[in-house]
Amino acid sequence: MDKFGSMFGDTLASLLKAPITERYPFERREAPDDLRGRLVWNQENCTGCGLCAQDCPAQALEMIVLDRKAKRFVMRYHVDRCTFCAQCLASCRQEGLSMNHADWELAGLSRGDFDLMWGSPEDVEAVLAGADKPEIEVID
Amino acid sequence: MNVLKQLLNIFIFPGGLFVLVLGMFYLWVNRKLIARLQNRVGPRWFQPLADVLKLLVKEEIVPEGVNGTLFVALPIMALAGALTSVLYVPMAGFAPSHSFQGDLVVTIYLLSLLTLCLGLAGSLSQDRFSLVGATRTLTQLFSYEAPFLLALLGPAIVAGTWQISEIAAYAQGHWLVLTQPVGFLVALIGLMGKLEMPPFDAPEAETEIVAGALTEYSGRGLALFKLGNGVELLVGLTLVSALYLGGLSNPLWFIIKTGGLMLFLGFLQALMTRLRIDQTVGLWWRYGSLLVILQLIVLVIWQGVL
Amino acid sequence: MSSNTNANPSTFIVPIGPQHPALKEPGHFEFHVDGELVKSASVRLGYAHRGLEKATEGRNYVQTLYLLERTCGICSHIHATAFTLAAERLAEVEVPPRAQAIRTLVAELERVHSHLLWLGVAAHEAGFDTLFMYSWRDRETIMDVLESLTGNRVNYSVNLLGGVKCDVTPEIRDMILNGLDFLEKRTQHYLEVVTSDALFLQRTRGIGVMTREQAELWGTVGPTARASGVPRDLRVDSPYAGYGEFPVRLITEAAGDLEARFVVRLRELQESYRLIHEILAHLPEGELTARMKRRIPEGEALIRVEAPRGELFYFVKSNGTDSPERVKARTPTICNMASVLQLTVGHQLADVPMILAGIDPCFSCNDRAVILRRGASADTWTWEDLRQHGIRVYHERA
Repeated sequence: MDKFGSMFGDTLASLLKAPITERYPFERREAPDDLRGRLVWNQENCTGCGLCAQDCPAQALEMIVLDRKAKRFVMRYHVDRCTFCAQCLASCRQEGLSMNHADWELAGLSRGDFDLMWGSPEDVEAVLAGADKPEIEVID
Repeated sequence: MNVLKQLLNIFIFPGGLFVLVLGMFYLWVNRKLIARLQNRVGPRWFQPLADVLKLLVKEEIVPEGVNGTLFVALPIMALAGALTSVLYVPMAGFAPSHSFQGDLVVTIYLLSLLTLCLGLAGSLSQDRFSLVGATRTLTQLFSYEAPFLLALLGPAIVAGTWQISEIAAYAQGHWLVLTQPVGFLVALIGLMGKLEMPPFDAPEAETEIVAGALTEYSGRGLALFKLGNGVELLVGLTLVSALYLGGLSNPLWFIIKTGGLMLFLGFLQALMTRLRIDQTVGLWWRYGSLLVILQLIVLVIWQGVL
Repeated sequence: MSSNTNANPSTFIVPIGPQHPALKEPGHFEFHVDGELVKSASVRLGYAHRGLEKATEGRNYVQTLYLLERTCGICSHIHATAFTLAAERLAEVEVPPRAQAIRTLVAELERVHSHLLWLGVAAHEAGFDTLFMYSWRDRETIMDVLESLTGNRVNYSVNLLGGVKCDVTPEIRDMILNGLDFLEKRTQHYLEVVTSDALFLQRTRGIGVMTREQAELWGTVGPTARASGVPRDLRVDSPYAGYGEFPVRLITEAAGDLEARFVVRLRELQESYRLIHEILAHLPEGELTARMKRRIPEGEALIRVEAPRGELFYFVKSNGTDSPERVKARTPTICNMASVLQLTVGHQLADVPMILAGIDPCFSCNDRAVILRRGASADTWTWEDLRQHGIRVYHERA
């Protein structure tokens, strides 16, 4: 039976209630717990194996090893290259990486915000000072 | 004094500025209504104004090989036609500023002038899409124009006059929508065809021919066509509600009646798919014309009997 | 790729694309029209070619998985699933049943989102914006479900080589079931709208009719072919992943016009809902991944899966290192494109976007570079040769 205006019920109901649009940024929903947000590095658990950096499809991680026995590592994370695929989480066997589900509004005004160096301050300084020294091993 | 009053009528009220602003307001009401029917938020009140202002400050690009004078002049003619037709209808509930016997035909002709200018503008632009759009616009004009005019003739016959103000005065007492429902329906759907609202928006089918006749227009020309569209919407609503919905005696009734008609049109727009141009023509020449001729025959017999 | 049917240089050409509101992705169609009647059609593709198959060289298997997932935004999971099935077959790894079931679950959820997206887009091409807005509003439910389950709305990245990354907890299970309840009601409503709205039927009934013989001759796949009565669905014909334990019913329609294509996809939605219910009710216990070595032994693998648009075909060749030697993907849209060129001839210009939308085109999937070698190596295979080769391959595997 062909009829006209088959969506009349929907349109009438919509006229009588509020629109479904979520007026971001004035209205924000909570992100689900498993949302793949920005990466978080757990320095204590990390053993510097570098599998995360090897497997990253976007080459967003670099594992810079200053001294493996003394566990002096610097993790370089390029947020702008990251595709948030969570392969690094799966590759790591020490639970050294996790993703923060609340940290997903990642727009920035300058490039510097997106090139992060994680590690203890003196290690990061050492890397920045002598990035091309032969004793520093870089896995990417 | 008379000259001053004439100038006031033409440029400020009820023509010119007043109707441009009101036309933009009605365009906004249309968009907001359809958005709310689709469970969306819709634009804010100043969106049509913002669109027009933005277009006015942009460069008007005239395509190569096109007659530049005509390209620029056609939007102006279209808007001029629409604005002139305002002078003969009871805008905002006040009596028309200029009124004479036969102004019903003149008003409809002036509204068609806008569509003709649109069709010409489309054929003028050397663009495949605008050529197809112009062809469709003119085809649609030829199909709904006759039934639309005949539907508006119905109230003229019972009122016994060709003057809009007198028909409106006659319609004060009688709501002709009750006695001529078929004519009302045809007039309303004819209005949708004239305004190129869905389901009759084949001439500006976005997913087939980009923007139809207006594909090559930008800047001032597009702004004037949009304004003309708004004025046409306003004049069409005023005409149909003055003739069929019992006249427009004061601004409150104007708002209520045209607003109600706008609501009805909004529902019709939201619920219908775009028809192909051959289906539109078929619909009009098969059902539209037959219905309205039937209505007229009934009216003529009625008049003759009484 | 460019193909031409009955071109007559004196007719008027209407170009659709590469930039056009009817196309969501670039592709160049030229229609020779006489007034509103289409006389001939030609297509030129390749605007979204990114060289993905070449880019797999130099990446290891893990990186290739994520690269190939981004072949398409709508059917990303099925590309990743096909590749990882190929890699697992080459490495001879047995994936745990829970992982296969979760893969199937996400594949069906992806089919739901893809068909709802298509419904909106096809309605928009017809000018029925209200149906477009409502179907995409309802699609948000499934996007929220996918976001909670996998962590992202698009490019779910569920697959790992050897299993899956995400698990179905009881809260997520309840969320999926709630979402499905809502969607089942809405899909039933859309089915009624599509089959009974008088004006919409004027745009879809009897338009773009493709008989079963034509569908088989032109090699169409997926819901487009099933709408013409061709009973071909890879989830039924050669089950992969979890489809052995959770079988699917084949949905066909006989009419072969646009309305049939709408009905087939909506009924496939209902079948997907039934399947998701079943998977959630009988999800097998167990681990999520199996251990997989980084270096895959030499071999070749041919995998065929059922993407939302039709048959997706992957060929992976490995050479013993941790990087694939050659990956080839053949996506369903390229099979269906020929039918568009044939069907639009004789129809009105206004029907052309509808017929194009009817095959559910995905231009970013289908761009491939093909080398035609002429001259010395004249190795031509007929349909029969291909069929015999396929029979041999399946015999050897069994």
